[in-house]
Amino acid sequence: MPATHAAPSNWRTLTRYAFAIAMVALALFLSLVLGVSFGNPFWLFFPVAVIASTWFGGKGPGWVAVGFSTLVVLYYFIPPARSWNVKPRDIPFFLTFVACQVVASSLIAWRRETEDSLRRARDELEVRVAERTAELTSANEALLNQIAVQRRTEEALQIARTELARVARITTIGELTASIAHEVNQPLAAVVANADACVAWLSHQTPNLVEARAAAERTTQGATRASEVIVRIRSLINKATPEKAQVQINEVIRETAALAEGQASRNAVSLTMELQPDLPVVLGDRIQLQQVILNLVMNGIEAMTSITDQRKQLVITSRLESAEQVLVSVLDGGIGIRADLMPRLFEPFFTTRSQGMGMGLPISRSIIESHGGKLWAESKASQGSIFQFTLPCAGGPVA
Amino acid sequence: MKELEPIVFVIDDDRMVREGLQSLIKSVGLRVETFASAQDFLVAKRPDTPACLILDVRMPGLNGLELQRKLSEANAHIPIIFITGHGDIPMSVRAMKEGAQEFLTKPVRGQDLLDAVQKAIADDRVLRKERAELSEIRARFDSLTPREKEVLDLVVAGLLNKQIADELGASELTIKTHRAHVMEKTHAESLAHLVRMAERLKAALRK
Repeated sequence: MPATHAAPSNWRTLTRYAFAIAMVALALFLSLVLGVSFGNPFWLFFPVAVIASTWFGGKGPGWVAVGFSTLVVLYYFIPPARSWNVKPRDIPFFLTFVACQVVASSLIAWRRETEDSLRRARDELEVRVAERTAELTSANEALLNQIAVQRRTEEALQIARTELARVARITTIGELTASIAHEVNQPLAAVVANADACVAWLSHQTPNLVEARAAAERTTQGATRASEVIVRIRSLINKATPEKAQVQINEVIRETAALAEGQASRNAVSLTMELQPDLPVVLGDRIQLQQVILNLVMNGIEAMTSITDQRKQLVITSRLESAEQVLVSVLDGGIGIRADLMPRLFEPFFTTRSQGMGMGLPISRSIIESHGGKLWAESKASQGSIFQFTLPCAGGPVA
Repeated sequence: MKELEPIVFVIDDDRMVREGLQSLIKSVGLRVETFASAQDFLVAKRPDTPACLILDVRMPGLNGLELQRKLSEANAHIPIIFITGHGDIPMSVRAMKEGAQEFLTKPVRGQDLLDAVQKAIADDRVLRKERAELSEIRARFDSLTPREKEVLDLVVAGLLNKQIADELGASELTIKTHRAHVMEKTHAESLAHLVRMAERLKAALRK
């Protein structure tokens, strides 16, 4: 489009020069008309024409006005009038007039240029500000997009992580179960073989009591060994001596709540904490206590998955129960636990969930008990459940 | 021929299981020998008598299935009763394919095991008898001269003396003599008996 662009610009230039000439012509006309009654007033009008031409037309038209008006003045008004001649005594006056015209035009042109460059600078600035704003806006949008993508990725990651943890837990428990099965099965095989042998020896016409006794003794040994396996597994779960240190239970609760936050928000559960400040420290294994609280919180969240008609809220509370112990409770507004299932809640491998292992609560209870505390549950059907545990304070009774 | 006393071998790395099984089997009047590992069993001298092997699949060192393969490679014929803690199907299929007698899961009911043992020993007795007969037949047939063997092949193929004589380019009388030797050396009671023995040998060789 430069052609269409150039045409109006040429036109404008032309107009500006035409304007300059028109202004000088007007000044000439006025001077001639008013010259009848005022003598020679030309020096009044021509500067105005030059100033106007320069102001509105710019430098070029300004000089054209200066030149044209000089010629016109020289011809019409410098005596002898209507001739190009100048009387020597009028030369200083004429030159002064021309000089004044030049100075006026220069000043105006200079002023005009300054103003133009200022305006250009301002316009440019505006354009640049607009550009920068646009850039910033798009950068901002890109950033927002990135944040959204990152948030989605993080959420996916969190889901994957939870899933992984669950699978790892199941795998571990699966392996554990297989290993337990083998460990227990071996002595059981011995028990059955020996018991069968014992019966066989006793069933002889003349029972072989020596052999029967030996077999019976081996039966006992096998059974003892099986029970030892169980004890070993239990102590493995209890981890016999937890790494006990002085622990601020509120800190543990906060850490655990932070861990569970993702799971809670995904399930639209709001996690609130009502923690009594300045609780005495307890002696315990931080990781194990976290495990217990996390387990109770996760159970609570799961208990509320089917709730849709009300706000899902999970409340973790801590308080000083007595002088010697603190109490932590996890309250959910879930479906509650059927009364007939309550007694079985802490049995190993008892679960009401299709994907549950039934190991969470028994392990939790054994952890709390190994800390010298108690863990129990209360529930009302369709009103949610409360799981709470106590832990003895580290420094014994607090005053 | 006097009946040989059968013997039951038990291989299990668990002493208490081993002793329990030993006592159980002893209680029905069978001779038992126990081993703590497959390696021990392989180096032990085994009496030549009807036997069966009770084998724990899962053992440290050489496991049950590996021992089974080793024994079959060494042409040591002994029926195997597998016992496993985890009755896992692919493993039992493999064991049965390789000719296991039984596959029982731990803990095994005493009666089930004893039944399996009795059946295994009875089977082994029959197989041993067959193997003994076969090796007897093989020994007899091996004692034939190359010429007698040629005659034997043609007799079994159903050719008459005259035809055999033509085939081998000998006189009918010579063939008759060879034939009489064959019958005598192989203890054949009749032509039909000779044919049966030859077939049995052939079948065994094909295996």
